[in-house]
Amino acid sequence: MPNSLKHIVRFILFVLVQGLVVGQIEFGMGIHPLIYPLFILLLPFDMRPIIIMLIAFACGLSIDFMMNTFGLHASAAVFVAYFRPQLYRLFSPRDGYDVMKEPTLQEWGYTWFLSVTSTTVFLHHLWFFALEIFKTSEWWNILKSTFLSAIISLVLMLITQILFFKKEKL
Amino acid sequence: MRNLIAFFQRFRVFLVFLALQLLALGSYFSFVSYPRTQFFNTSNTVAAKLLTTQRDITKHFFLDQENRVLQEEISRLKNQLDHALSSKDSSEIITDSLKGFSYTFFPATVINASYSRKNNYFTINVGASDGIQPKMGVITAHGVVGVVYDVSTHFAVVKSILTENFNLSAYISSNKAFGIIKYLDLNPKQVSLTGISNDIELNIGDTIFTMGSGGYFPSGIPIGKIVEYTVIEGKPLWDISVELFQDMRKLHYVQVIKHIKELELTELENQIEEYHP
Repeated sequence: MPNSLKHIVRFILFVLVQGLVVGQIEFGMGIHPLIYPLFILLLPFDMRPIIIMLIAFACGLSIDFMMNTFGLHASAAVFVAYFRPQLYRLFSPRDGYDVMKEPTLQEWGYTWFLSVTSTTVFLHHLWFFALEIFKTSEWWNILKSTFLSAIISLVLMLITQILFFKKEKL
Repeated sequence: MRNLIAFFQRFRVFLVFLALQLLALGSYFSFVSYPRTQFFNTSNTVAAKLLTTQRDITKHFFLDQENRVLQEEISRLKNQLDHALSSKDSSEIITDSLKGFSYTFFPATVINASYSRKNNYFTINVGASDGIQPKMGVITAHGVVGVVYDVSTHFAVVKSILTENFNLSAYISSNKAFGIIKYLDLNPKQVSLTGISNDIELNIGDTIFTMGSGGYFPSGIPIGKIVEYTVIEGKPLWDISVELFQDMRKLHYVQVIKHIKELELTELENQIEEYHP
Protein backbone atom coordinates (compact mmCIF):
# COMPACT_ATOMS: atom_id res chain seq x y z
CA MET A 1 0.00 0.00 0.00
CA PRO A 2 1.45 3.40 -0.94
CA ASN A 3 2.37 5.56 2.03
CA SER A 4 0.00 8.49 1.41
CA LEU A 5 -2.99 6.20 0.91
CA LYS A 6 -2.20 4.46 4.19
CA HIS A 7 -2.32 7.77 6.05
CA ILE A 8 -5.55 8.82 4.34
CA VAL A 9 -7.21 5.55 5.38
CA ARG A 10 -5.93 6.04 8.95
CA PHE A 11 -7.27 9.60 8.98
CA ILE A 12 -10.76 8.43 8.02
CA LEU A 13 -10.72 5.51 10.45
CA PHE A 14 -9.52 7.58 13.41
CA VAL A 15 -12.12 10.30 12.75
CA LEU A 16 -14.94 7.76 12.42
CA VAL A 17 -13.94 5.75 15.49
CA GLN A 18 -13.56 8.92 17.57
CA GLY A 19 -16.83 10.45 16.36
CA LEU A 20 -19.07 7.40 16.22
CA VAL A 21 -17.71 5.03 18.88
CA VAL A 22 -15.35 6.51 21.49
CA GLY A 23 -17.03 9.93 21.56
CA GLN A 24 -20.50 8.39 21.97
CA ILE A 25 -19.69 6.34 25.07
CA GLU A 26 -20.40 8.36 28.19
CA PHE A 27 -18.13 7.30 31.03
CA GLY A 28 -19.30 9.87 33.59
CA MET A 29 -17.01 11.67 36.07
CA GLY A 30 -15.95 14.08 33.33
CA ILE A 31 -14.11 11.33 31.44
CA HIS A 32 -13.97 11.94 27.71
CA PRO A 33 -11.25 9.85 26.04
CA LEU A 34 -9.74 11.17 22.79
CA ILE A 35 -7.76 8.80 20.61
CA TYR A 36 -7.00 10.88 17.52
CA PRO A 37 -3.69 12.30 18.90
CA LEU A 38 -2.31 8.86 18.04
CA PHE A 39 -3.03 9.56 14.37
CA ILE A 40 -0.95 12.75 14.55
CA LEU A 41 1.88 10.86 16.28
CA LEU A 42 1.83 8.18 13.57
CA LEU A 43 2.53 10.58 10.69
CA PRO A 44 6.03 10.01 9.21
CA PHE A 45 9.09 11.31 11.07
CA ASP A 46 10.32 13.35 8.11
CA MET A 47 7.06 15.16 7.38
CA ARG A 48 7.39 18.95 7.53
CA PRO A 49 5.93 20.58 10.69
CA ILE A 50 3.59 22.91 8.76
CA ILE A 51 2.11 19.99 6.81
CA ILE A 52 1.61 18.06 10.06
CA MET A 53 -0.22 21.03 11.59
CA LEU A 54 -2.47 21.38 8.53
CA ILE A 55 -3.34 17.67 8.58
CA ALA A 56 -3.96 17.86 12.34
CA PHE A 57 -6.23 20.87 11.81
CA ALA A 58 -8.27 18.97 9.22
CA CYS A 59 -8.50 15.96 11.52
CA GLY A 60 -9.64 18.06 14.50
CA LEU A 61 -12.15 19.91 12.37
CA SER A 62 -13.67 16.66 11.08
CA ILE A 63 -14.17 15.58 14.68
CA ASP A 64 -15.67 18.99 15.54
CA PHE A 65 -18.24 18.35 12.83
CA MET A 66 -19.39 15.22 14.66
CA MET A 67 -19.15 16.30 18.28
CA ASN A 68 -20.58 19.86 18.22
CA THR A 69 -17.41 21.38 19.62
CA PHE A 70 -17.11 24.17 17.01
CA GLY A 71 -13.30 24.14 16.64
CA LEU A 72 -12.08 22.97 20.05
CA HIS A 73 -10.72 19.65 18.75
CA ALA A 74 -9.04 21.45 15.83
CA SER A 75 -7.25 23.73 18.29
CA ALA A 76 -6.09 20.84 20.50
CA ALA A 77 -4.92 18.81 17.48
CA VAL A 78 -2.87 21.71 16.09
CA PHE A 79 -1.41 22.21 19.57
CA VAL A 80 0.01 18.68 19.76
CA ALA A 81 1.11 18.82 16.11
CA TYR A 82 3.13 21.95 16.91
CA PHE A 83 4.92 20.28 19.81
CA ARG A 84 5.37 16.89 18.12
CA PRO A 85 8.91 17.57 16.72
CA GLN A 86 10.14 18.82 20.13
CA LEU A 87 8.64 15.79 21.88
CA TYR A 88 10.20 13.36 19.44
CA ARG A 89 13.55 15.09 19.92
CA LEU A 90 13.18 14.90 23.71
CA PHE A 91 12.64 11.15 23.69
CA SER A 92 14.91 10.31 20.76
CA PRO A 93 16.95 7.09 21.05
CA ARG A 94 20.73 7.32 21.44
CA ASP A 95 21.54 7.12 17.74
CA GLY A 96 18.57 9.14 16.49
CA TYR A 97 15.54 8.04 14.49
CA ASP A 98 15.58 5.93 11.36
CA VAL A 99 13.19 8.04 9.26
CA MET A 100 12.31 5.07 7.09
CA LYS A 101 10.60 3.37 10.01
CA GLU A 102 7.17 4.33 11.28
CA PRO A 103 6.76 5.88 14.76
CA THR A 104 5.00 2.83 16.20
CA LEU A 105 5.19 0.72 19.34
CA GLN A 106 6.42 -2.29 17.38
CA GLU A 107 9.38 -0.42 15.87
CA TRP A 108 10.59 1.52 18.91
CA GLY A 109 9.50 -0.45 21.96
CA TYR A 110 7.18 0.01 24.94
CA THR A 111 9.32 2.51 26.89
CA TRP A 112 9.63 4.88 23.97
CA PHE A 113 5.99 4.56 22.93
CA LEU A 114 4.57 5.01 26.42
CA SER A 115 6.74 8.02 27.27
CA VAL A 116 6.00 9.84 24.00
CA THR A 117 2.30 8.99 23.95
CA SER A 118 1.62 9.76 27.60
CA THR A 119 3.31 13.17 27.37
CA THR A 120 1.42 14.01 24.17
CA VAL A 121 -1.91 12.80 25.52
CA PHE A 122 -1.46 14.69 28.77
CA LEU A 123 -0.62 17.97 26.96
CA HIS A 124 -3.47 17.46 24.49
CA HIS A 125 -6.08 16.68 27.14
CA LEU A 126 -4.93 19.52 29.39
CA TRP A 127 -5.25 22.01 26.51
CA PHE A 128 -8.64 20.57 25.53
CA PHE A 129 -10.25 20.54 28.99
CA ALA A 130 -8.71 23.85 30.07
CA LEU A 131 -10.23 25.55 27.03
CA GLU A 132 -13.52 23.74 27.35
CA ILE A 133 -14.11 24.51 31.02
CA PHE A 134 -12.17 27.82 30.82
CA LYS A 135 -12.46 28.91 34.44
CA THR A 136 -9.63 29.16 36.96
CA SER A 137 -12.02 28.34 39.80
CA GLU A 138 -12.75 24.97 38.13
CA TRP A 139 -9.06 23.90 38.05
CA TRP A 140 -9.85 20.77 40.03
CA ASN A 141 -12.40 19.62 37.42
CA ILE A 142 -9.92 20.40 34.63
CA LEU A 143 -7.18 18.30 36.24
CA LYS A 144 -9.56 15.47 37.13
CA SER A 145 -10.94 15.27 33.57
CA THR A 146 -7.43 15.48 32.11
CA PHE A 147 -5.94 12.70 34.25
CA LEU A 148 -8.86 10.26 34.13
CA SER A 149 -9.47 10.73 30.38
CA ALA A 150 -5.75 10.51 29.63
CA ILE A 151 -5.54 7.11 31.34
CA ILE A 152 -8.45 5.71 29.31
CA SER A 153 -7.14 7.28 26.08
CA LEU A 154 -3.71 5.74 26.68
CA VAL A 155 -5.18 2.29 27.25
CA LEU A 156 -7.26 2.62 24.05
CA MET A 157 -4.21 3.77 22.07
CA LEU A 158 -2.13 0.91 23.40
CA ILE A 159 -4.83 -1.59 22.40
CA THR A 160 -5.01 0.01 18.93
CA GLN A 161 -1.26 -0.32 18.50
CA ILE A 162 -1.08 -3.91 19.70
CA LEU A 163 -4.06 -5.11 17.65
CA PHE A 164 -3.74 -3.25 14.37
CA PHE A 165 -0.07 -2.53 13.79
CA LYS A 166 2.52 -5.07 12.76
CA LYS A 167 6.26 -4.74 12.50
CA GLU A 168 7.10 -3.90 8.92
CA LYS A 169 9.17 -6.49 7.13
CA LEU A 170 12.33 -5.11 5.58
CA MET B 1 11.97 44.48 4.01
CA ARG B 2 14.59 41.77 3.88
CA ASN B 3 14.50 41.62 7.67
CA LEU B 4 10.75 41.15 7.55
CA ILE B 5 11.00 38.27 5.09
CA ALA B 6 13.78 36.73 7.17
CA PHE B 7 11.56 37.07 10.25
CA PHE B 8 8.67 35.32 8.53
CA GLN B 9 10.93 32.53 7.35
CA ARG B 10 12.42 32.04 10.77
CA PHE B 11 9.10 31.92 12.57
CA ARG B 12 6.90 30.46 9.85
CA VAL B 13 6.04 27.30 11.79
CA PHE B 14 5.02 29.34 14.80
CA LEU B 15 3.05 31.78 12.62
CA VAL B 16 1.12 28.95 10.96
CA PHE B 17 0.47 27.54 14.45
CA LEU B 18 -0.83 30.92 15.59
CA ALA B 19 -3.04 31.36 12.51
CA LEU B 20 -4.62 27.91 12.88
CA GLN B 21 -5.19 28.44 16.61
CA LEU B 22 -6.86 31.80 15.95
CA LEU B 23 -9.12 30.20 13.37
CA ALA B 24 -10.12 27.27 15.58
CA LEU B 25 -10.48 29.12 18.89
CA GLY B 26 -12.12 32.11 17.24
CA SER B 27 -14.83 29.88 15.90
CA TYR B 28 -15.13 27.97 19.19
CA PHE B 29 -15.55 30.97 21.45
CA SER B 30 -17.79 32.94 19.11
CA PHE B 31 -20.12 29.94 18.61
CA VAL B 32 -20.32 29.17 22.29
CA SER B 33 -21.15 32.73 23.29
CA TYR B 34 -23.85 33.68 20.80
CA PRO B 35 -25.92 31.81 18.22
CA ARG B 36 -25.52 32.43 14.53
CA THR B 37 -25.63 30.32 11.41
CA GLN B 38 -22.94 27.74 11.81
CA PHE B 39 -20.84 25.35 9.90
CA PHE B 40 -18.76 23.28 12.32
CA ASN B 41 -21.54 21.17 13.76
CA THR B 42 -23.64 18.07 13.35
CA SER B 43 -26.44 19.72 11.37
CA ASN B 44 -23.89 19.46 8.57
CA THR B 45 -25.16 16.73 6.25
CA VAL B 46 -22.23 14.30 6.08
CA ALA B 47 -21.77 14.18 9.86
CA ALA B 48 -25.53 13.91 10.39
CA LYS B 49 -25.85 11.02 7.92
CA LEU B 50 -23.04 9.15 9.68
CA LEU B 51 -24.59 9.72 13.09
CA THR B 52 -27.99 8.57 11.81
CA THR B 53 -26.43 5.32 10.63
CA GLN B 54 -24.71 4.88 13.97
CA ARG B 55 -28.01 5.48 15.78
CA ASP B 56 -29.83 3.01 13.54
CA ILE B 57 -27.48 0.35 14.82
CA THR B 58 -27.67 1.25 18.51
CA LYS B 59 -31.36 2.22 18.78
CA HIS B 60 -32.57 -1.29 19.65
CA PHE B 61 -30.84 -1.25 23.01
CA PHE B 62 -33.26 1.16 24.66
CA LEU B 63 -36.58 0.33 22.94
CA ASP B 64 -38.00 -1.37 26.03
CA GLN B 65 -37.49 1.61 28.25
CA GLU B 66 -38.87 4.02 25.64
CA ASN B 67 -41.97 1.85 25.28
CA ARG B 68 -42.67 2.25 28.98
CA VAL B 69 -42.33 6.04 28.74
CA LEU B 70 -44.74 6.09 25.79
CA GLN B 71 -47.28 3.95 27.63
CA GLU B 72 -47.16 6.27 30.64
CA GLU B 73 -47.64 9.23 28.31
CA ILE B 74 -50.61 7.58 26.57
CA SER B 75 -52.38 6.77 29.82
CA ARG B 76 -51.79 10.28 31.12
CA LEU B 77 -53.21 11.83 27.95
CA LYS B 78 -56.15 9.40 27.96
CA ASN B 79 -57.03 10.50 31.46
CA GLN B 80 -56.88 14.12 30.38
CA LEU B 81 -59.07 13.38 27.37
CA ASP B 82 -61.68 11.62 29.50
CA HIS B 83 -61.68 14.54 31.86
CA ALA B 84 -62.06 17.05 29.02
CA LEU B 85 -64.90 15.11 27.37
CA SER B 86 -66.79 14.62 30.59
CA SER B 87 -66.51 18.25 31.62
CA LYS B 88 -67.84 19.44 28.28
CA ASP B 89 -71.52 19.12 29.13
CA SER B 90 -71.13 20.40 32.68
CA SER B 91 -71.58 24.02 33.58
CA GLU B 92 -67.85 24.74 33.35
CA ILE B 93 -67.14 27.76 31.18
CA ILE B 94 -64.16 27.57 28.88
CA THR B 95 -62.87 31.11 28.77
CA ASP B 96 -59.97 30.82 26.38
CA SER B 97 -60.78 28.49 23.54
CA LEU B 98 -57.83 29.66 21.42
CA LYS B 99 -55.25 28.99 24.07
CA GLY B 100 -54.85 25.39 23.04
CA PHE B 101 -53.94 26.38 19.52
CA SER B 102 -50.92 28.47 20.44
CA TYR B 103 -48.44 25.64 20.24
CA THR B 104 -48.00 22.51 18.14
CA PHE B 105 -45.67 19.65 18.95
CA PHE B 106 -43.45 17.96 16.43
CA PRO B 107 -41.86 14.58 17.22
CA ALA B 108 -38.12 14.05 16.67
CA THR B 109 -35.42 11.50 17.39
CA VAL B 110 -32.10 12.33 19.02
CA ILE B 111 -29.22 11.05 16.87
CA ASN B 112 -26.26 12.39 18.84
CA ALA B 113 -26.09 13.72 22.38
CA SER B 114 -23.64 14.68 25.09
CA TYR B 115 -24.27 15.43 28.75
CA SER B 116 -20.89 15.45 30.46
CA ARG B 117 -19.37 18.49 28.81
CA LYS B 118 -19.58 22.02 30.14
CA ASN B 119 -21.82 23.09 27.25
CA ASN B 120 -23.91 20.25 25.87
CA TYR B 121 -25.67 20.02 22.56
CA PHE B 122 -27.66 17.30 20.84
CA THR B 123 -28.70 16.66 17.26
CA ILE B 124 -32.24 15.75 16.17
CA ASN B 125 -33.41 14.30 12.88
CA VAL B 126 -35.78 17.12 11.88
CA GLY B 127 -34.77 20.34 10.17
CA ALA B 128 -35.84 23.32 8.12
CA SER B 129 -37.81 21.11 5.71
CA ASP B 130 -40.07 20.14 8.64
CA GLY B 131 -40.53 23.78 9.59
CA ILE B 132 -38.06 23.73 12.45
CA GLN B 133 -36.43 27.08 13.22
CA PRO B 134 -33.83 28.26 15.73
CA LYS B 135 -35.15 29.14 19.22
CA MET B 136 -37.97 26.60 19.25
CA GLY B 137 -38.33 24.80 22.58
CA VAL B 138 -37.63 21.07 22.88
CA ILE B 139 -39.29 18.87 25.53
CA THR B 140 -39.88 15.21 26.38
CA ALA B 141 -42.75 13.53 28.19
CA HIS B 142 -40.98 14.36 31.47
CA GLY B 143 -39.97 17.98 30.97
CA VAL B 144 -37.86 20.64 29.29
CA VAL B 145 -34.63 19.52 27.59
CA GLY B 146 -33.42 22.34 25.33
CA VAL B 147 -33.88 25.01 22.66
CA VAL B 148 -33.13 24.62 18.93
CA TYR B 149 -29.82 26.36 18.17
CA ASP B 150 -29.06 25.81 14.50
CA VAL B 151 -30.90 24.07 11.64
CA SER B 152 -29.96 22.57 8.30
CA THR B 153 -32.38 21.10 5.76
CA HIS B 154 -32.99 17.78 7.52
CA PHE B 155 -31.30 18.12 10.92
CA ALA B 156 -31.11 20.52 13.83
CA VAL B 157 -28.68 21.09 16.68
CA VAL B 158 -30.35 21.69 20.04
CA LYS B 159 -28.74 23.59 22.88
CA SER B 160 -29.36 21.38 25.89
CA ILE B 161 -30.61 22.68 29.26
CA LEU B 162 -27.11 21.64 30.37
CA THR B 163 -25.40 24.71 28.87
CA GLU B 164 -23.93 27.51 30.90
CA ASN B 165 -25.93 30.37 29.39
CA PHE B 166 -29.23 28.54 28.88
CA ASN B 167 -31.05 31.15 31.05
CA LEU B 168 -34.58 29.77 31.06
CA SER B 169 -37.11 31.70 33.13
CA ALA B 170 -38.99 29.45 35.52
CA TYR B 171 -41.28 29.62 38.55
CA ILE B 172 -41.77 27.59 41.72
CA SER B 173 -45.14 25.83 41.97
CA SER B 174 -45.90 26.57 45.64
CA ASN B 175 -45.36 30.33 45.73
CA LYS B 176 -45.11 31.42 42.07
CA ALA B 177 -41.75 33.12 42.70
CA PHE B 178 -39.73 33.21 39.51
CA GLY B 179 -36.05 33.07 38.62
CA ILE B 180 -33.62 31.93 35.96
CA ILE B 181 -32.48 28.33 35.35
CA LYS B 182 -28.72 28.04 34.82
CA TYR B 183 -26.31 25.10 34.52
CA LEU B 184 -23.48 25.87 36.90
CA ASP B 185 -22.00 22.62 38.27
CA LEU B 186 -20.91 19.84 35.97
CA ASN B 187 -23.64 17.49 37.22
CA PRO B 188 -25.98 16.34 34.41
CA LYS B 189 -28.78 15.53 36.88
CA GLN B 190 -29.07 19.01 38.35
CA VAL B 191 -29.41 22.64 37.31
CA SER B 192 -29.53 25.78 39.46
CA LEU B 193 -32.41 28.18 39.92
CA THR B 194 -31.01 31.67 40.49
CA GLY B 195 -32.47 35.05 41.36
CA ILE B 196 -34.92 33.91 44.07
CA SER B 197 -34.84 36.28 47.06
CA ASN B 198 -34.12 34.45 50.34
CA ASP B 199 -37.13 35.89 52.18
CA ILE B 200 -39.29 33.55 50.09
CA GLU B 201 -40.08 30.27 51.81
CA LEU B 202 -39.13 27.13 49.93
CA ASN B 203 -39.80 23.43 50.44
CA ILE B 204 -37.73 20.48 49.29
CA GLY B 205 -39.68 18.78 46.52
CA ASP B 206 -41.39 21.90 45.13
CA THR B 207 -41.84 21.58 41.37
CA ILE B 208 -40.31 24.12 38.97
CA PHE B 209 -42.26 25.05 35.82
CA THR B 210 -41.45 27.17 32.77
CA MET B 211 -42.69 30.78 32.82
CA GLY B 212 -43.42 30.83 29.11
CA SER B 213 -41.72 34.18 28.58
CA GLY B 214 -39.77 34.52 25.36
CA GLY B 215 -42.27 32.25 23.64
CA TYR B 216 -39.95 29.23 23.39
CA PHE B 217 -42.04 27.16 25.79
CA PRO B 218 -45.69 27.26 26.84
CA SER B 219 -46.19 28.32 30.44
CA GLY B 220 -46.27 25.47 32.95
CA ILE B 221 -44.04 22.82 31.37
CA PRO B 222 -42.36 20.94 34.23
CA ILE B 223 -38.58 21.22 34.56
CA GLY B 224 -37.61 19.58 37.85
CA LYS B 225 -37.94 19.65 41.61
CA ILE B 226 -36.01 21.39 44.38
CA VAL B 227 -33.57 19.04 46.10
CA GLU B 228 -31.43 21.49 48.04
CA TYR B 229 -31.28 25.19 48.89
CA THR B 230 -28.74 27.28 50.75
CA VAL B 231 -28.19 31.02 51.20
CA ILE B 232 -25.55 32.54 48.92
CA GLU B 233 -22.85 34.08 51.13
CA GLY B 234 -23.19 37.86 51.16
CA LYS B 235 -26.25 38.07 48.91
CA PRO B 236 -29.97 38.10 49.76
CA LEU B 237 -30.57 35.20 47.39
CA TRP B 238 -31.14 31.45 47.58
CA ASP B 239 -28.83 29.02 45.83
CA ILE B 240 -31.33 26.39 44.71
CA SER B 241 -30.42 22.99 43.21
CA VAL B 242 -33.11 21.59 40.92
CA GLU B 243 -33.15 17.93 39.94
CA LEU B 244 -34.32 17.57 36.34
CA PHE B 245 -37.35 15.36 35.66
CA GLN B 246 -35.85 14.22 32.36
CA ASP B 247 -32.67 12.21 32.85
CA MET B 248 -30.44 13.93 30.27
CA ARG B 249 -28.27 10.82 30.09
CA LYS B 250 -31.15 8.86 28.57
CA LEU B 251 -32.41 11.16 25.88
CA HIS B 252 -33.84 9.40 22.82
CA TYR B 253 -37.19 10.81 21.69
CA VAL B 254 -38.16 14.47 22.00
CA GLN B 255 -40.82 16.91 20.83
CA VAL B 256 -40.13 20.29 19.24
CA ILE B 257 -42.56 23.06 20.13
CA LYS B 258 -43.71 25.34 17.35
CA HIS B 259 -45.24 28.56 18.60
CA ILE B 260 -47.97 29.52 16.16
CA LYS B 261 -48.47 33.03 17.50
CA GLU B 262 -44.80 33.84 17.81
CA LEU B 263 -44.93 36.55 15.18
CA GLU B 264 -47.80 38.23 16.98
CA LEU B 265 -45.94 38.03 20.29
CA THR B 266 -42.68 39.48 18.98
CA GLU B 267 -44.53 42.28 17.17
CA LEU B 268 -46.34 43.16 20.37
CA GLU B 269 -43.14 43.15 22.38
CA ASN B 270 -41.36 45.26 19.78
CA GLN B 271 -44.22 47.78 19.92
CA ILE B 272 -43.74 48.14 23.67
CA GLU B 273 -40.07 48.83 23.12
CA GLU B 274 -40.93 51.48 20.53
CA TYR B 275 -43.30 53.28 22.89
CA HIS B 276 -41.01 53.02 25.91
CA PRO B 277 -37.45 52.98 24.64
